[in-house]
Amino acid sequence: MRVFLLCVAVAAVCATTAGARRAATPGVSSTEIRLGSSVPLSGEAAAAGNVARGADAYFKYVNAKGGVLGRKIRFTYLDDGYDPGRAVNNTIRLVQQEQVFAMFSTLGTNNNLAIRKFLNQAGVPQLFVAAGATTFGRDFRQYPWTIGYIPPYSEEGELYGRYILSHLKKAKIAVLYQDDDYGRDLLAGLRKGLGKKASAIVGKVGYDPTASDVQPQIAQLKASKANVLCIFAFGKFSLQAFNGVSRIGWKPQIFVNDVSAASSLMVAVPQKAANGAISIAFGKDPAAPVWARDKGVKLFRQILRQYGSNISSRDLIDGYYVAGMGEAFTMVDTLKKAGKNLTRDSVMRAATHLTERGNPFLLPGIVVKTTPSSRFPVTQVKLQRWNRRAWRPFGKLLSVRP
Amino acid sequence: MPRAKLVLEALAFVALAVIVWLVPHHVSDFHARELASVGIYFIALLGLAILTGYSGQISLGHGAFMAIGGYTTAILSVDHGVRDLWTIPIAGVVAGVAGLLVGIPALRLSGVYLALVTFGIAVAFPQLLKKYEHLTGGTTGKILTLPRAELGVHTTPNRWLYYLAWTIALVLLAVAWALVRGRPGRTMQAVRDSEVAASSSGVSIAVVKTLAFGVSAFYAGVAGALYAISVFYVNPETFPILLSVWLLVGLAVGGLGSLAGLIGGAALVYYLQNHADAVARWANHLPGLAVDPKQPGIPSIVFGAVLIIVMLVLPTGIGGLLRRVLYPLTSRLYSRS
Repeated sequence: MRVFLLCVAVAAVCATTAGARRAATPGVSSTEIRLGSSVPLSGEAAAAGNVARGADAYFKYVNAKGGVLGRKIRFTYLDDGYDPGRAVNNTIRLVQQEQVFAMFSTLGTNNNLAIRKFLNQAGVPQLFVAAGATTFGRDFRQYPWTIGYIPPYSEEGELYGRYILSHLKKAKIAVLYQDDDYGRDLLAGLRKGLGKKASAIVGKVGYDPTASDVQPQIAQLKASKANVLCIFAFGKFSLQAFNGVSRIGWKPQIFVNDVSAASSLMVAVPQKAANGAISIAFGKDPAAPVWARDKGVKLFRQILRQYGSNISSRDLIDGYYVAGMGEAFTMVDTLKKAGKNLTRDSVMRAATHLTERGNPFLLPGIVVKTTPSSRFPVTQVKLQRWNRRAWRPFGKLLSVRP
Repeated sequence: MPRAKLVLEALAFVALAVIVWLVPHHVSDFHARELASVGIYFIALLGLAILTGYSGQISLGHGAFMAIGGYTTAILSVDHGVRDLWTIPIAGVVAGVAGLLVGIPALRLSGVYLALVTFGIAVAFPQLLKKYEHLTGGTTGKILTLPRAELGVHTTPNRWLYYLAWTIALVLLAVAWALVRGRPGRTMQAVRDSEVAASSSGVSIAVVKTLAFGVSAFYAGVAGALYAISVFYVNPETFPILLSVWLLVGLAVGGLGSLAGLIGGAALVYYLQNHADAVARWANHLPGLAVDPKQPGIPSIVFGAVLIIVMLVLPTGIGGLLRRVLYPLTSRLYSRS
């Protein structure tokens, strides 16, 4: 009898440990949560890699304050040079070798498209991707492990269209757009926002992302006699567009999309062209004077100084860092909401049931909200106008939920 | 002499095959995938070695031939439902034909002029991919199915990729070896060393040079197809202009005119692309150095620095080093027979 009892006890212990082992989630231990990301740290898009650096600093700050429910976040981000093939290699390395719990804030539309199938087949959460293609929030039935973050580009374009419709009655619109999905999404959104007035677009010119200069296109657009110019560009192209406008003495009302409207870029272009330009914002711009005394931006500077590596004064006014911290804040909230018994299922449940108020790195009043069938966390933005060398938000929060 | 050397090289090949067969049993699943990538670059470098090392024509456009192979595989498997395995030879042939076509105008050029023309192809090719969007998917590219073991093999996707890449690599190594050891190789070398002497001995320079281009592009196409299968995604950025430069660097590091040494070159190309941060972290252990591997540009600097050091220390590449080490052991063998 005693032997029998002993056997039962041994069997029970074996069963529970085996069960525990089976239930263990990769990348989660009693002390640690491993997150991974792939971003460009080299190449033309390297500046955007600061999103990951900002997030990393925020995670270190959270760790120093005790972590998430007793677990420290270990964040590994690798360089992909904006090449989707390398993003795939990085992702497989992070999932299989580094055993990350989830991927967080991987950057770039194509790079996220490239890794989405793999992550969904492996059942690894692809959380809060840093790309504005609508598909990341929309196609959750096919890709249940994926969720977006920033407002979709098409909705941003639509917002400009609606604004033009209600404020600029005699608008004749010219559009410079990057001739890929990114630029075309914005253009399609603009058309949708204009509705029946889409014929007000009197000229549109696409440029190739590998082009060297877009100033000829600007001259071409001026010839269309437009009085509104939409710049749906990226980096140096948007800089060249402003330069071109200034050089040929054109004075249109300019709309410039969020991604190409960084303050660091806007101060570098001729101010007589830049003044009055309109864009959108959802994160706090650390270079904007309105936020100079803001608690969130103060916290941002303090965290970056203390936990960032090789931080210069230019980094302290770099919006990419704030964007990364904003996402990291939502990530930490999600992990908290997923609870002590953290699994990949529970984190997806948490990520699709968010109602986050008071993210200090986003504009006041923005509620990060998701449901299982609406996976667009940030869908509120404000319009902002460039004036006296800074962006100045105006109006109330506008919804861009698809 | 030839027989002893032949036996020795055949033995070396068998030894390599055995090593290739045994390696996956001793490395993690993920490392098998990394080694598969090395095998893929090895195939591309074999093709480049035939062209540059043996026929003396420099190509800075092999990334474009890889892209042709990769896109052939992507289009056939995504749009036409062909199983990706069977697209590999087709990809090689399509790229090979493209190589023949490039080889014809290249006849009139040599040295740096040829390098520039082929570089022009590498620069222009991504634009062509964007232009024919209905076929190539434009900048969005094409998403392939994830790799999985086929032909009744039961193993993980990573190990499957490894066996697939290295089986093809070994076959193509044997072909390349037969090619350069035999008559075609001798005529190619004759053309490389002196076109006048070669043509006065009855060698048709046009045929030799064009064929070298075609064969070389076939290899690149096969490598491109395997690359597309392994990253299951193609768009113009998966075959960047820099890829062509990396391949030439891999060839220089592997050593011109040495086939087995190219494995080292391929490993360098893969690891410096994907693990430059690890090299930077390792460099931090050296006295007087403090680099932050996450800073922008560090991977490129590491890449450049390693390249300069390798070329200073191993000017004849890894192949040259192998030969220098092995020469004292084998020279007696050759001189006796």
